Amino acid sequence: MAIELNGTTAEILGEDPLVIKNRKDWYHIHSYGGWGKFFQGLLEKKLLATRCTNSACGENRLWLPPRCECPDCWHEMAWVEAPTVGTIFTHSVVLYPGAPFRASTPCPLISVEIEGVCTKLMSYLKEGKPEMGMPIKAVFNTEKPTNTILDLAWVPA
Amino acid sequence: MIKFGPGNLRIPKFEKPVYVVAGGLTDFRKKYPEKNSSELCTEALRMAVEENDLKVDPEYVRRRVNWCVYSQFADHFGDQLLAAAKIHDYLGFDPLGNIEVKTGGATGGSAVLAAAQAVASGYADCVPVVGWERMDEVSTKVGNSYIASAACKDFESELGWMYAAYYALMAQRYQYENNVPQETLAKIACKNHEYARHSPYSQNPGKYSVQDILDNDVVSDPLSFLECCVMSVGAAVLILADEKTAYELTDHPMKLSAICGGTHTLRTADRRHMPILLLPNETEETYKDYFTGRRHEWPGFSSFLASRMAAYLAYNMAGIKDPVEDFDLLETHDAFTISDIQTYEDIGLRPYGRGREFIESGDAFMEGRLPTNPSGGLIGSMHAVGATGIFQLVEVLWQMQGNWDKFHADPERWSRYGKKKPDDFRSLQVPGVKRACAISHAGTGSHVTCAIMEKP
Repeated sequence: MAIELNGTTAEILGEDPLVIKNRKDWYHIHSYGGWGKFFQGLLEKKLLATRCTNSACGENRLWLPPRCECPDCWHEMAWVEAPTVGTIFTHSVVLYPGAPFRASTPCPLISVEIEGVCTKLMSYLKEGKPEMGMPIKAVFNTEKPTNTILDLAWVPA
Repeated sequence: MIKFGPGNLRIPKFEKPVYVVAGGLTDFRKKYPEKNSSELCTEALRMAVEENDLKVDPEYVRRRVNWCVYSQFADHFGDQLLAAAKIHDYLGFDPLGNIEVKTGGATGGSAVLAAAQAVASGYADCVPVVGWERMDEVSTKVGNSYIASAACKDFESELGWMYAAYYALMAQRYQYENNVPQETLAKIACKNHEYARHSPYSQNPGKYSVQDILDNDVVSDPLSFLECCVMSVGAAVLILADEKTAYELTDHPMKLSAICGGTHTLRTADRRHMPILLLPNETEETYKDYFTGRRHEWPGFSSFLASRMAAYLAYNMAGIKDPVEDFDLLETHDAFTISDIQTYEDIGLRPYGRGREFIESGDAFMEGRLPTNPSGGLIGSMHAVGATGIFQLVEVLWQMQGNWDKFHADPERWSRYGKKKPDDFRSLQVPGVKRACAISHAGTGSHVTCAIMEKP
């Protein structure tokens, strides 16, 4: 039986040198693993962080992004609801994002400082002009969720 | 907080001295369809063995090699996993052993570190380090998203798919804390675009005023296009050897007196406050007034612990007491103007908070105390990621050998790449370089290496 090609071609873009166009079109099936709770929390308008369960550990503040194990002592972390208010630690308005960016531009990115949290979560300001130290509150995209970190955003408090 | 235990800050040592014998480059271009990656690597290797005044013929070098290290940042870009196997085959090094190294933007530095470890331990005595990147198979916007895949894909990449934005967040905070005007950052871009004008290898040379840089389109505020590194195609090769082999191959090897690495969290967000790790030219006194005003933490968003760690180890390993005094030449990983100024502080050219003085004083220029990036750097010359850390050390080697003019000034070399040597060309040979430093840097400071080369 003769082998037949499936009919797709690699389009020629140039002859010298020979340059062809290879199509890539597929999905990655990505698991958030133990961090999934955080993203499920966003759908319930909750900001879920983690805290080390080891009373002897030197770090008792919250981690956001959450971690399943404590990097300081390798003990398990417990899930805790973090405050949904904070302040802008730094900001930048993105004008030329990379190809898969799902939000409109210009888009103000922010790093958020939250009391009791030892990290500064990266996010974006949905409304208003970002300024250093500006009080902000979390808003959650639950209507048509992207199921990514973009479901969390902030607006002036 | 990171607390160091007694073993964590052990100063690395080489059991045997490590030497740098030869280097080779291709030119660097935004698009390079004329040559595939194997051809580019072969071209750089041939320059290393044919044009570095070696005492032996290229075939002899081939027969001396006993281990190879390959350096490519992203399989995404080349769309070829295990590309090192293919390059190794096309370079004719089978069945010798090899290893491919990947640490993001610092891949080149880490690859040289891996090769140095092989030579220093006696595992091998003649090791080519071959680096390349092929970033032209996708559009710039897709390329930026590939690079941003090297940010945290769960919590950060979706926020812009663009590394310039992550550096812009640091820039805003750094400038807020340290009161640095945009003009100071623009001066770094002017310098490196200008130096790139005198290199036949460079991709993005240009004569710009500070105002031109400030007026340029902004990618993510405050960083403009001309303040960001280029995306390149090209290759670089550096050959390392032990002392006996080095002098068998050349009369002018340079000694790699140290190369050390540091790391920090992939996400800038996770960098908690800790005491400043002091370099040999700093004391507690240096920072008694640091945590005042808008500065509350270190390294935070304004400093790179990975760079500080790499410099701490390398300076102690090589006996560096004061980098501005002890080095005659520096190549930094100027991926963005802001990261360059941050690095000045991390590697102790100025104390934290005063990095602007290194550029504003003129120290960083050819005429200054520590000429920095006469290669044109990543902003002016190239950032074919896997090749970058190697490119820096090739340029350093040629500078130290007094061969900069040989590899940059010959009009034939310009025409080799279809270019014309500029009428106002000037030599960027730094006279009498005895000791030089090169910094290779990844992510928003996830991996950094600090290499120190000196005259034996």
